[in-house]
Formats: sequence, C-alpha cells, structure tokens
Amino acid sequence: MESEKRQIDTSVLRVEDLRVSYHTYAGEVQAVRGVSFHVDKGEALAIVGESGCGKSVTAKSVMGLIKPPQGEVKKGSAIYFQEENILNYNKQQWQQYKGGKCSIIFQDALAALNPTMRIGKQIMENLQIHKRMSKKQAAAEAVEMLRRVGIPEPEKRARQYPFELSGGMRQRVMIAIAFACDPPLLICDEPTTALDVTIQGQILDIIKDLQKEKNTSVVMITHDLGVVANIAQRIAVMYCGMIVETGLAEDIFYRPKHPYTWALIRSVPRLDLENKQELATIPGTPPDLLSPPKGCPFSTRCTFCMPVCLERMPEQTPFEEGHTAACWLHHPIAPETPVPVLKGGAAHEGM
Amino acid sequence: MSELSKDQFKIIGYKEENINKIERPTISYWQDAWRRLKKNPIAMMSIVVLGLLVVLIIVGPYIQNYDYITMNVAKKNQGPTGANWFGTDNLGRDLFARTWVGARASILIAILATGIKLLFGVAYGAAMAHFGGWVDELLMRIIEVINSIPSLLLTILIMMVLGNSFPALLVALSITSWCNTARQVRGMIKQLRESEYIYAAEVLGAGPLRIIFKHYIPNMIGILILDASTAIPSFIFTEAGLSFLGIGLKSPDISLGVLISLGQQSMDFYPYQLLFPCLILCVIVMAFNLLGDGLRDALDPKLRR
Amino acid sequence: MGKYLLRRVLEMVLTLFLIATATFFLLEAVPGDPLAERADKMAPEIRANLYAKYGLDKPMLERYVITMKGICMGDFGESFVYAGQTVQSLIKTRLPVSARLGLQQVILGVGVGLLLGILAAMKRGSVWDYLVIALSVLMISIPHLIFGLLLQRFFAGSLQWFPTIGWPEGSDLWLGGWEYTVLPTLTGCFTYIATYARLLKTSMLDVIGQDYVLTAESKGLSQGRIVRKHILRNSFIPIITQLPMSIAMCITGSFFIESIFSIPGIGQYYVLAVNNQDLSIIMGETVILAAMYIIVLFITDLLYVVVDPRITLTGESK
Repeated sequence: MESEKRQIDTSVLRVEDLRVSYHTYAGEVQAVRGVSFHVDKGEALAIVGESGCGKSVTAKSVMGLIKPPQGEVKKGSAIYFQEENILNYNKQQWQQYKGGKCSIIFQDALAALNPTMRIGKQIMENLQIHKRMSKKQAAAEAVEMLRRVGIPEPEKRARQYPFELSGGMRQRVMIAIAFACDPPLLICDEPTTALDVTIQGQILDIIKDLQKEKNTSVVMITHDLGVVANIAQRIAVMYCGMIVETGLAEDIFYRPKHPYTWALIRSVPRLDLENKQELATIPGTPPDLLSPPKGCPFSTRCTFCMPVCLERMPEQTPFEEGHTAACWLHHPIAPETPVPVLKGGAAHEGM
Repeated sequence: MSELSKDQFKIIGYKEENINKIERPTISYWQDAWRRLKKNPIAMMSIVVLGLLVVLIIVGPYIQNYDYITMNVAKKNQGPTGANWFGTDNLGRDLFARTWVGARASILIAILATGIKLLFGVAYGAAMAHFGGWVDELLMRIIEVINSIPSLLLTILIMMVLGNSFPALLVALSITSWCNTARQVRGMIKQLRESEYIYAAEVLGAGPLRIIFKHYIPNMIGILILDASTAIPSFIFTEAGLSFLGIGLKSPDISLGVLISLGQQSMDFYPYQLLFPCLILCVIVMAFNLLGDGLRDALDPKLRR
Repeated sequence: MGKYLLRRVLEMVLTLFLIATATFFLLEAVPGDPLAERADKMAPEIRANLYAKYGLDKPMLERYVITMKGICMGDFGESFVYAGQTVQSLIKTRLPVSARLGLQQVILGVGVGLLLGILAAMKRGSVWDYLVIALSVLMISIPHLIFGLLLQRFFAGSLQWFPTIGWPEGSDLWLGGWEYTVLPTLTGCFTYIATYARLLKTSMLDVIGQDYVLTAESKGLSQGRIVRKHILRNSFIPIITQLPMSIAMCITGSFFIESIFSIPGIGQYYVLAVNNQDLSIIMGETVILAAMYIIVLFITDLLYVVVDPRITLTGESK
C-alpha cells in the first residue's frame, strides 16, 4: 500500500508495509506480512490479536530488536519515526533512538531485568547514556522515577535486586526505565498479561498518567480487550501477520466491520448474559505462518467466507474517520451483510 | 487485477475440517532426538568410528593370526612392517594384536564399571527419593563424605586394598562415581513427583505402574544416557592412568594403560610402542566424548525445535 | 551467619574424622607386612623394637586411637619405608612444589580458556567458534597422561628444548628454573583451557538468550557496555564457583604429570607410597589432601552466595 501524500505529518510513528520473516529449520515463517499503521503525538494505539498473530514481532521491529540472520525485515518495509525511516539508521543512530526516542516494556519483568544488577543502576544506565547525567544526578533521578511510578520507599528499593520485588513493582520499575529519558514513543508488549487483575489496573493507570504528563505516544500490544478499552484511543486488529481492521476505539467496539473483530468482541465474557449460556468462541485455530493462505487469512474460520476470500487478499475499505477494514464483504458486489450471530453469546446491539 | 464475478461472492462459510489444519507434523521426543542426532555430522561420525573400533576389537587379533602372548624373541623390537602392522614389543609379541586385546579390556572395564555405577546409582537415588525423611538425610550424608575426598585418591586407596586385578579395578572405579548418578536420579525423581504433568496424569487416572513407565523412565533415560556417555571415556582414561602408574592392572594383564606403561619404558628407542596404544586410546576417548556431546545436544528438550 | 559457619565447621571436622577413620581401617585391610623389607635382615630384638616403634605390636583399636590422637595434634608419624622422614616434613617440602605447578596450570589454563570462551560465544557460528570447539574437544579427549608423554618425548627428548625431568629447588623454588616447569605446566593447563572455554561459552550463550539482554539492547547501550555489565557479569557466576574446585584439584597434585616428569610433589609421593605400601605416608597424605579439599568445597559454597545475590546461605535460592 502506497503511503498517503506527505501532508503535515503529525504522526510520531508511521509503519508502512512492514514485512518480517524468521528463518527456522522448518522454513521461512512469515511473522508479519504487510502491516501498516500510524500513531499520532500523545495518542495510544492498541494492537490487538491472538497469540502468534505477529504483534510482538511488530513491536520488536519498531524497536530495532529483530536480529539477523534468523530474523529478517524485508526490503520495501518502512518505519518512519518523526519522518525518518529508522530502518536506514546506522549503528550510532540506532543507539540514540533506542531508549532515548523509543522505549519498550516487556511482559515478563522478572526475566527482563538483570538479576545481578541493582534496580537503581538499571534505571541510571539509561539516564547516563541518553541524558548524559553524572552518576550522582542519575542516581537521584532514578529514585525520583521510582517515586513517580508509585514505589514506596524508593531510596531503599533502588538498592535492591529485582528478585526482591513483587511482580507489580517490577513492572513499575520497567515503566520507570522506559520513561526515564522522556521518549516520544513507548511500546508496551503485553505489560499486564502476567499480572493479577487488580495490579493490572494500577499499572495501566501509571502508564496513562506518565503518558499524559510527557505527551508520549503509546503502542499497546495486547490480547486483552479490557486493557484496550482502558487505555486506547485507536485500535488496530491484527490477525495472522496482517492488520485486518483499524479505527477509533469507539468505532471498533460499537461498529466493527470485520468478521474477526465481530468474533473477538463477541467472545468477551459478559456479566449480563443469562446463566448457562455457552461462551462464544471462534472455532478453529489460526493458520500456520510457514505457509500462509494466499487469500484472506481468516477465511478458514469465517462464517461469511466467500469463494473470492479463499483466492484473493481483500483490500482495505475506508470508512469514516480513519476507520478501515480489509474484508470482501464490503466490496460493492458483495451481498448485504446480515446481522452476525455466532455460536452462543448474544447478538451485539447497534449493528 | 482481473474482473471479479458475482458468484465469487456467494457466502459459503467455513468447513469444519479446515479450521484446525496443522502444517507441521508432530513427532515424539525420541524421534526428534534421533532426528537431531542424525543431523549432527560429528556425532554420526563418532558412531561410525566406534562401530569400527568394536569390530576391530573383536576381530583384530585374528586378522593376522598372531595371538597376543606368543613371544618370538627373534623378532623383538621391530617397527611396523608388513608382517606386524604395529610392530613388535621387546619380547617379540605382535603389537597389533596386543593393542586390540588391550583396547578390548579397557572398553570392557569402562562399560562394566558404568553399568555398575548406573545400577547402583539409580537404586540409591530412587531409595533416597522414595523414602525421604531420615533415610534420605542419612544416605545424603554418606554421599557427602564420599564426595569430600578427591575421587582419584579413593580409587587408588581401594586398589591398594584389593590388589591389581580386573574385578578390583571395577569396584574401585565405580565406587567413586555412583554418587553423582544417585544425586541426579534423586533430583529428577523429586522434581518429577512435584511436576504438574505427573499430577495431571494421576488426576486423569493413570496407575502408578503406568506413571513409572511412561513418565519417570523416559525422563531418566535421558540423563542416564548422558551420564554413561561421559563416564565411559572418563573410566577409560582413569584406568589407563592407574595402570600406567602401576596401581591399576599390571603385566601380564593387558589393557591400554599397561601397554602405554610398557611403551613408555622404551619410549626413547622404540617410540611406536608407545605411539600406537596412545593413538587408539585417544581415538576411543575422543569418539565417546564427541558422541556424548552430540547426545547431549540431541536430548536437550530446550533445544527442541 | 555465625551459627551457619559454626555448623559448617563442625560438619567439616566430622567428615574429616570419618574419612580418617575409614582410611585407617581400609589400610588395615591391605594384605602384607609393610615393614617386611626393612625388617628382613634385622636381629630379632631390633626387629621387635622396629615394630614397636610403629605400634604394629599393638592391637588394631589401640593403634586407631593413637593414630587419631596423633592426627589431632598434627603428628602423622614416620614413613614406614624411609626411616626418619616424618609425614609433616615431607608435606612441607613437597607441597610448595605441587602448589607452584598447580597455580601455573590454573592461571595459564583458566586465563586462556576464558578468553577463548568469550571469543567463541561472541563470534558464534564463525570460524573462530569452530576452532575453539575443535580445540576444546581435542584437549579434553587426549588424556593429559598421554599428552605429557608426547610432549616429553618430543620437546624434551627429540628437540631438547627443555629438560626431560626435574624441578627447580631451593631459592629457585617459586620463581626460578622456569625451563623445568614449562612442559608440565603446558600438559596440565590444557584441561583447564578446554573446560573453562566451554563453560564460559555455554554460560554466555545462555545469558545472551535471556530477556534482560534484550532490555539492555533496547536501552541503546553500546555493545561493549552490554557485554561487560550485563552479559559477562551474569555469565561468570558458574565460572567463579567452579574455580575453587579447579584450584583444589590442581594443588592436590596431578599424580600423572608429576610421575611422568619426576616432579617431587605430593602427587608423585603418594604414588610412590602406594607402590611401597608406606602406610603412614598414605594415611597422612590422604587426611591432609581430604582436609584441603573439604575446605575448598566450603569456600565454594560461600562464593556462591557472594557472587549470586539470589542465593542464600541456607541453600535455598530465592
């Protein structure tokens, strides 16, 4: 897909036709097959999808963490950060970009923190490199960051090791590290998946606070629609290495246009359903990325599959306000779409 | 792009059999391990070399029809010739035959000692894990005491007491090494007992026998194979060293160690007498080591892809 | 902490006691008369005196108590074979020899090994990696017994670059006479090179695959800093805990190397003693070597705690 004409680009991040493959012993796994999205200044975009759909790989690509030779970002992909294509960066530019312009928070904070390095030092590293602070300044600032993310007794904690903290606190430390250098862009790779529900809310609140304070753009990768509803202004739905639908949060939740999105939203358990009503599920499993289908990836599980879906990749159909969906159902020749009813669950209102 | 026709847009929905298509065939742990081993050229070569050695050990002495004890003083101390491929020693005995008989002894000792170590180690470790409590504590203490003394020292001491015979060597070698096996077995059984998939199997109604055979044993075979593959070359090595020092086997018994010891005495004048047994020893130890490495890589579940 | 230390010390003493006891009774089981050769040509009364001196006329249990008492006071008695030489004096003269050899082997072996390990891990899959692997395999597979023999034959025998046997003594004991030490050191250091190269390489590769290295990269740190502060620091944990063991093993004297090169160390003497059935020497050396070994094991345990903050003294990991 060609980029739109370059008007005054307010976007902090613009990804165009990103293709990433991994070379494994079994063959080439096409993890990301042509993904395009953008994030504006100060806004939060959620990338939603099942496990294995390529969301993490997308996140790693934006961070420049795809390692050759196993990982390959294919030619023709472009990732624009503040108008520069970072895929063309040299080593020095990458070092400035990582941590300074763009940070990432991982899912498992225990594994993501150096077990033999004190917490404070792990935050200080960032500050000393990107903000050129002296050791003393960095140490003080690190304690401040810990306080900012809501860790009690930050001076004491700064001298502790990761294993001495609880899961929630470790994630806060990761947030502190990520925000330490005021990066314009933050990527969160399922930061709450490993946490209790009560802690999840706290973590998301911290992220939202810091985001508002520093006007950071956030890309939130998750499979949890609850998290999405909490934090995202815009949503991109990903399936099998491609983005099938993008739009404002409201549009996606109340006026989804792609059968996969319909199915996702429907599958969220609801408190107001009648007792003993079957939970809605999407039957089947995503196709293998070793040999992805040539048509629409969802075709094998879609109630509305048509012959054309099996043969050709649908194009993105634009709706209002930047809402797009890639589905043959919206082609002029396609039949009228009946209100979708899936196994179990209640039909959603407002369709 | 070609034209799209209306009937390409008829709704057909999904087919049940298509929704769960799995591209990659699933293979069991052992199949995967064997596959990985096959792909490792070094390991496969080691297997070939070892096979060759086994053949030579069995057949070698008969190839040229010399036996290893006949002395032919007229032919003493000759270098490798057409008649005697490895030459002769100071008493005119054919070295080719002697080397292979020696290798036979060395490998036999190593394998038997490994067998004893594994059997004893497994029994001991299983007992510790099964009974737990004070039995476990006591048995563990015994292991710790044995471990507190350098193993070579202990081996030598035992050889002192028992003399220089083949069975003595067997006992001495295995006594110091079963501790490690026992520890590993105990650790593995304890870990397996707590593991969730054993629990799941029990919950699903599997009887204890089934659990032992389908779950415990396959897991243990892995570590036992690895244990054996490092133990065998180590034993060969130790035996050679001990015999060399005069503490292991002594002439007229033959092993590679004895041959090396004899060879060293004439090292300055007839170096080949030292060279051939050394060479064979190195090849054997190297082949086992490489095979062991390959096995470790193949059996490691973390490397499974 | 104090309680733990006390407990460990008591355990070590107990273990040592058990080892000494076991050794004593084991040696009792050795067939033959250790004094036979010396006493062969003696008149009966002198013979009786000789046997009395070594306590061989007393019943086993009494001898056991005497021996144990002696050990507690550091007196291991005299050699059975060489009259007048006490075990203590022997140890005093021979231990430095073995120690120097051992330390040289360890310093050279571990140093080179670690460098090679880093090289192999950083340049994974390249020519260097395969070279290091091949070298390690070769070194592990050639028993140092054979390697020593070959080195001796070739470099000392044929080429005459180095003396075949012997060791510096007197004032040269620690720092001089290096030409004697070259071949034995080389022979022994190869196992260390191979072991530590492999150990560090595996450890580093393991660490490199961890998430926190990814985090470090995502911070935009320089490669050098990532390697030093994050990778190496964590990779060295198994190295540091392995090191005391290596040092112990080498100081206790490589029996084979000392025998081949006729180095007057405690290893060589142990072999001699065994071949001569010199019981008191054997007893003495066994207990002393075991004691050193046990102390090193203890130090290793302490090191674990120092090096990895996740491990506590009581042995639980956090």
